Amino acid sequence: MSPQLVRLAVRAYRTMAYVTGTMLCILVFICIPLQVWAHNDVPVDIVGTLHGILYIIYIVIAFAMTRAVRMKVASPGTIIVLAAGTIPVLTFVVERWVSRTYIAPALAGAAPSEQQPVLR
Amino acid sequence: MSSAKPRPRWLFLITPRWLAWHAFAVFAAWGMLWLGDWQFHRAEGGNALSWAYTFEWPIFTIFGVVFWAKTIIDEYRSPRGAVTSAAGAVAGSPGPAGDSLPGRAHTAVAEDEQAGEDPELAAYNAYLARLNSRTAAG
Repeated sequence: MSPQLVRLAVRAYRTMAYVTGTMLCILVFICIPLQVWAHNDVPVDIVGTLHGILYIIYIVIAFAMTRAVRMKVASPGTIIVLAAGTIPVLTFVVERWVSRTYIAPALAGAAPSEQQPVLR
Repeated sequence: MSSAKPRPRWLFLITPRWLAWHAFAVFAAWGMLWLGDWQFHRAEGGNALSWAYTFEWPIFTIFGVVFWAKTIIDEYRSPRGAVTSAAGAVAGSPGPAGDSLPGRAHTAVAEDEQAGEDPELAAYNAYLARLNSRTAAG
């Protein structure tokens, strides 16, 4: 896999991690309290459906990213990345951890120093 | 590479850890389909949000099955021995200790050769070399 593809996968993953994570925070910290205490189901219906769709996209893109940076499929790291989209705030934490532990070394390995200057 | 006949690679599939993983995959797939069915009944009962979940759970089931298949393909292609990798599959640490850079690079190269990605890599390197010579000339 070319370095550009790895970077693209990582960028897509980061975007989806933040979008999905933000949507889940809105759902859990704003919409569900509205449903429980204000008895207003509309926000949960809209944001819940939206998060469901986003999570499906997230899980596919995040899985592609774990393959791009050569994380093992059957590893706790991969499972944590995929599950993070369902637990509030965790996507932000996991994104930082994955960046440090897997993405940075993979990018360093994917683009050796003699290739880097010609890329731009 | 001793003179002894090597164990067939697929044998890792019937080690206890992998059998537990297969059992979990079946249970999870069944559970997700059951949840989809439950949401379908709730949707029929008039819960609008459940319609979304009715379709989401089967999608998650498909993803789960793909994920399970990928773990097997990944393990099968892994250049490391089946025993060590199976141990790493469940109990392995994802930390830097298990993934030091030289080791990763070595694994990557071996995987590339096995997956037949070498032509792509060679083409890419040739492309880079061409660009490089062009900048040097110009």
